[in-house]
Amino acid sequence: MVVRDRAWSAWEGSVTPASRRFLVLTRYALKDVFESRVFLAFYILCLIPSAAALLAIYFSHNTQFLEQFAGIDSWFAKAPNWIFLHLFGWQAMPAFLVAVIATPPLIAADIGNNALQVILARPIGRREYVLGKMVVVFLLLSPITWIPGLLTFGLQAILAGGQWTAENLRIAVAFFVGHVVWILVVTMLCLAVSAWIRLAAFSRGALLAIFIISAVAGRLVNTVTRSSIGDLLHLSRAIESIVLRFFGAAPPSGLPSPANWLTLVMVVLGALWVLNLRLRAVGEIK
Amino acid sequence: MTTSTNLRARADTDGRNSPPLLEIQGLSVRLGGRTILDRLDATINGQIVGLLGPNGAGKTTLVRTLLGYFKPSSGNAFVLGHSLATAGRTVCSIIGYMPEDDAYIRGMSAVRFVRMMGELSGLPPDAALERTHDALTFVGMGENRYRKVGSFSTGMKQMVKLAQALVHGPRLLLLDEPTNGLDPAARHRMLELIQDIAHEGKTGVLLSSHLLGDVEAVCDEVMILKAGRLAGRCDLASEHEVARTFVDLETLPPSPQFGSVLERLGCTVEERGNGRFRVELHADLDIRTLFSAAADEGLGLRRFERTRDSLQDIFMRVMEDDHGRS
Repeated sequence: MVVRDRAWSAWEGSVTPASRRFLVLTRYALKDVFESRVFLAFYILCLIPSAAALLAIYFSHNTQFLEQFAGIDSWFAKAPNWIFLHLFGWQAMPAFLVAVIATPPLIAADIGNNALQVILARPIGRREYVLGKMVVVFLLLSPITWIPGLLTFGLQAILAGGQWTAENLRIAVAFFVGHVVWILVVTMLCLAVSAWIRLAAFSRGALLAIFIISAVAGRLVNTVTRSSIGDLLHLSRAIESIVLRFFGAAPPSGLPSPANWLTLVMVVLGALWVLNLRLRAVGEIK
Repeated sequence: MTTSTNLRARADTDGRNSPPLLEIQGLSVRLGGRTILDRLDATINGQIVGLLGPNGAGKTTLVRTLLGYFKPSSGNAFVLGHSLATAGRTVCSIIGYMPEDDAYIRGMSAVRFVRMMGELSGLPPDAALERTHDALTFVGMGENRYRKVGSFSTGMKQMVKLAQALVHGPRLLLLDEPTNGLDPAARHRMLELIQDIAHEGKTGVLLSSHLLGDVEAVCDEVMILKAGRLAGRCDLASEHEVARTFVDLETLPPSPQFGSVLERLGCTVEERGNGRFRVELHADLDIRTLFSAAADEGLGLRRFERTRDSLQDIFMRVMEDDHGRS
């Protein structure tokens, strides 16, 4: 028979640094996300565009092997420009889907059964809590967006030489800044929706609806006013315009760059406000 | 304020002149334009302290203010010498909180949930896992610890809540209605656990409850709140030692005049109608005197029951006194 000592002892060992404690939330959330094998498979699929781009860049500089395939070698010779123009979109769209699939439970699961009140009773504040959850989305989306984007750029830079790199450095900047901005906007929207909607299916629907409704509203205003002012509401167009300007291409929006940035800033601030409202309510006495 | 905080913290480190478990100085909290805690002053040294009060007295507000959910509009509180105003994070790290309502993540196993809470409090991952198993064993979770918390019964959820409050080895444990929804056996077990936690001597417990029986069973000190103010406090241990002893008696036939007979004997009598009395006994009064007095009056004693000043009596007296004053 096992005899247990029923006494309870206090912890007297060392503790982890307070500044890094929010990463505990990140670690647990990431593990939860990758528990689903279906999600893991989809996530790996999201890497295919980047892998294909890397291969295409490699073959564009090694056309001897491709000469035996009629016509293909000439396409690969022109590949780098075409690839960089389209790779951003091929990465950003799956990344959005990854966020839509993975993020709904991030805050909803903590709020659903009041776990947030015991989480925030620890030496961790609301800001650190949100930061921990933001890092989840950032770490989730980075390996399928700007990291492979910069790897592709790096491979091209190595194979094409210093002059090409110097002339096209803006592509690297576009991949990094464009994706980080995209990730930030998507992250804030996902967290705000997760904080308010408990059911994952409704959260996913709401995230898609935000983009669809903003696009429809923007176009409607543009049609009615016969101007481009509606682009202030058109979230995806604002992001696309900002990214294309980084690439040096013509933006689809008729508004100047600051107006597109204003749209994104307003969306992020709005999401923060909504998030704050929800988190501030934790601990309130009903 | 900083100097005062440092001095208190130093006293704690040195182990001399140990600061009290909880010291509240003129603490006021206003929520939604209403004053919930009104210049509350209290110093608590007991190992298990009960927090009593009617609904809306400010018990939960006090607990949540200590956790940093609400900012005091004036005053301050010190937990083991650490100031709530200047060292809120430190206070949170030495407090364990078991809320009244549900608090769990549905899809997580008990082990994973409690371990995460331990790590959030600063335990290294390996230590958090080890202490999670210790805590869950301590509360009696057995192999159920690997099941998802959402599938647990109310009693098991309560135990998981207690385990997560304990896992990081807090110096002060705040328990908000810990026996809520528990059957008598589970309630008894919970109270036993609370006593075991405090028994070690390194963890103080602040137990907020409506159930006077629970508080009386485990607490050695009680703080009674009413309308956000400290209406009374009581050292239960010494109260039990010097508790006044009463006799509830009933005469046959009912005789209201018997009260004055008892008063002539020097007893303090409370008439309860229909020939029933509560008589406070003095140490030098022989109990047989009461029987003789009844016989002299030609009365029989239908009921004769020794009783003590219960927490309920103390609580009701405090409520009435305070009502009388206000």
